[in-house]
Amino acid sequence: MQTRTMEIGVGLFLLAGLLALLLLALRVSGLSVADSADTYKLYANFDNVAGLTVRAKVTMAGVTIGKVSAIDLDRDSYTGRVTMDLQKRVDNLPEDSTASILTAGLLGEKYVGISVGGDEALLKEGGVIRDTQSALVLEDLIGKFLLNTVNKDSK
Amino acid sequence: MSAESINAVELRGVTFLRGARKIFDNVDIFIPRGKVTGIMGPSGCGKTTLLHLIAAQLKPASGEILVAGKNLPTLSRAELFDMRKQMGVLFQSGALFTDLDVFENVAFPLRVHTQLPEEMIRDIVLMKLQAVGLRGALDLMPDELSGGMKRRVALARAIALDPQILMYDEPFVGQDPIAMGVLVRLIRLLNDALGITSIVVSHDLTETASIADYLYVVGDTQVLGHGTPDELMNSDNPRIRQFMKGEPDGPVPFHYPASDYRADLLGGH
Amino acid sequence: MRQISMLDRIALFGRVGIAVLEALGRSTLFLLHVLLGRNGVGNGFQLLIKQLYSVGVLSLAIIVVSGLFIGMVLALQGFNILVDYGSEQAVGQMVALTLLRELGPVVTGLLFAGRAGSALTAEIGNMKSTEQLSSLEMIGVDPLKYIIAPRLWAGFISMPLLAMIFSVVGIWGGAMVAVDWLGVYEGSFWGNMQNSVNFQDDVLNGVIKSIVFAFVITWIAVFQGYDCEPTSEGIGRATTKTVVYASLAVLGLDFILTALMFGDF
Repeated sequence: MQTRTMEIGVGLFLLAGLLALLLLALRVSGLSVADSADTYKLYANFDNVAGLTVRAKVTMAGVTIGKVSAIDLDRDSYTGRVTMDLQKRVDNLPEDSTASILTAGLLGEKYVGISVGGDEALLKEGGVIRDTQSALVLEDLIGKFLLNTVNKDSK
Repeated sequence: MSAESINAVELRGVTFLRGARKIFDNVDIFIPRGKVTGIMGPSGCGKTTLLHLIAAQLKPASGEILVAGKNLPTLSRAELFDMRKQMGVLFQSGALFTDLDVFENVAFPLRVHTQLPEEMIRDIVLMKLQAVGLRGALDLMPDELSGGMKRRVALARAIALDPQILMYDEPFVGQDPIAMGVLVRLIRLLNDALGITSIVVSHDLTETASIADYLYVVGDTQVLGHGTPDELMNSDNPRIRQFMKGEPDGPVPFHYPASDYRADLLGGH
Repeated sequence: MRQISMLDRIALFGRVGIAVLEALGRSTLFLLHVLLGRNGVGNGFQLLIKQLYSVGVLSLAIIVVSGLFIGMVLALQGFNILVDYGSEQAVGQMVALTLLRELGPVVTGLLFAGRAGSALTAEIGNMKSTEQLSSLEMIGVDPLKYIIAPRLWAGFISMPLLAMIFSVVGIWGGAMVAVDWLGVYEGSFWGNMQNSVNFQDDVLNGVIKSIVFAFVITWIAVFQGYDCEPTSEGIGRATTKTVVYASLAVLGLDFILTALMFGDF
């Protein structure tokens, strides 16, 4: 086996491996280089964050403007506190905007949708969205439905 | 000091165990310098182990192994490394490195132990191959060689550094008469022309006795006897006699230990 | 037949247990010597290149073909199941996560153990039985550093690379099947995948798994070759042991690593 052919073969192999890693990073996992620096944090407290996970997307009008970076329990208010990393160029959210936890599709994952309010004051880094709508929990819905049906029958 | 210069290798009071089994018990062997010494004995008596001990691949439980006056088990790594330049071993199967061609195989010890320039290495390799008659096989790979040729190349490799001591491990096993003749001639030639000490470990009586100047017969953890081939042929010792004359029954019995024959047949087990 | 008593069986069991412990001890000392022992002669880099070629490059063929087929089958089966929930757009995410987290490292590990592992064991065992290792010692070269160490490092380096190539080829094969054949919208295939695959959690964890597997497989392979009985049957037995032990180790470690990485403990 010629040494030169071998060395070329090994070199190509190593290159292929590195290329694979690069592809996995960029094309498959969507790792974007611009990610970290261009975001600012906003917080929102929800009564129920059931099903929302870290890295879920944050959208407005259906457009992804950021993602959920942390979910913790706020001990003082007994609510779920969601930390969101939003793109810096979306810096014109009014202070009375609403954050709701929505579901994408039938099996879908939960994501946060933001709809604007009308206030002139804008949310800044570290701001808190006060108007929130919790996730719809299936059991509650069924309970409500059953209750309604029972009420109707008893009328 | 003069006693040392008569013997190239001395084993004094060497005891060696493999696990719990004693292979050698307080054995003394003296290999005279410049001569061909044969070490013979029945299978499994530890002849190859002796080679490994002399080559410092194994350490004895007790005793001294003196090569050129130095006690091998006490040497440091670096000293042992230097020692290896003076010893060459031809293994039973030739043991050529299968991924190197003939040239590289023979050049290998030179590359390990010396910093000689390429042209010099080439010259030495050619000379060694010429000595064994295989100069034309320079570029072949080991799997393109016949068994006998492999051994000759291995021999060329063993003498690459012009060692003082050459050891042959069962060199005659499985050789056709021509290859046998070649090997016998080479062993004798190298020994006499280069003034080296040759140690041949074998159980092939005829060939070994024909080229050896001195013989040791080992067995049963002991040296059973030693002397010139003629002396041993006429020995009184029954074990030596059984070995030298090839008698099937004697101190080494024919029958594997078993219960009474009659009882076995009648018992119908 | 000799009757074997109950006590004899228990004694045999004990003997086997002790033998296993001895082998573990030997193999650990062996590993330490190979990795940490004083450097021997010869050009280490050249030797490594040669082994990278025979261990890594020559395994590429089976890895690429297997990766392709597994990716394609994953997409096919995944589509069939997801279509019932109207979620066939998620097939890209399914294929990618399955490959990156599990099948990439594990299947590559099993294939590597079978192809490269057994080849290493057989090669080293053969060198042992033809006394090449002894010859090296005689010439003054430490076979553990000259023969074993380059092969060990080649295994450590090659396998993670092979696992990554496996995953990439599998994802691409899955994309071909899903987008070109089954009609999944290309945008959602890749979009969903990119949204759900996290570099640190999925890609890197998969790489860590493959590094651990590479270590264990190569260690087992070279040790079995070095430790085998220097006969033809001995080499055959050692090769079988390599494939069996390495495969079991991969599967067992996979469970432990998965629990550690993806479990919620």
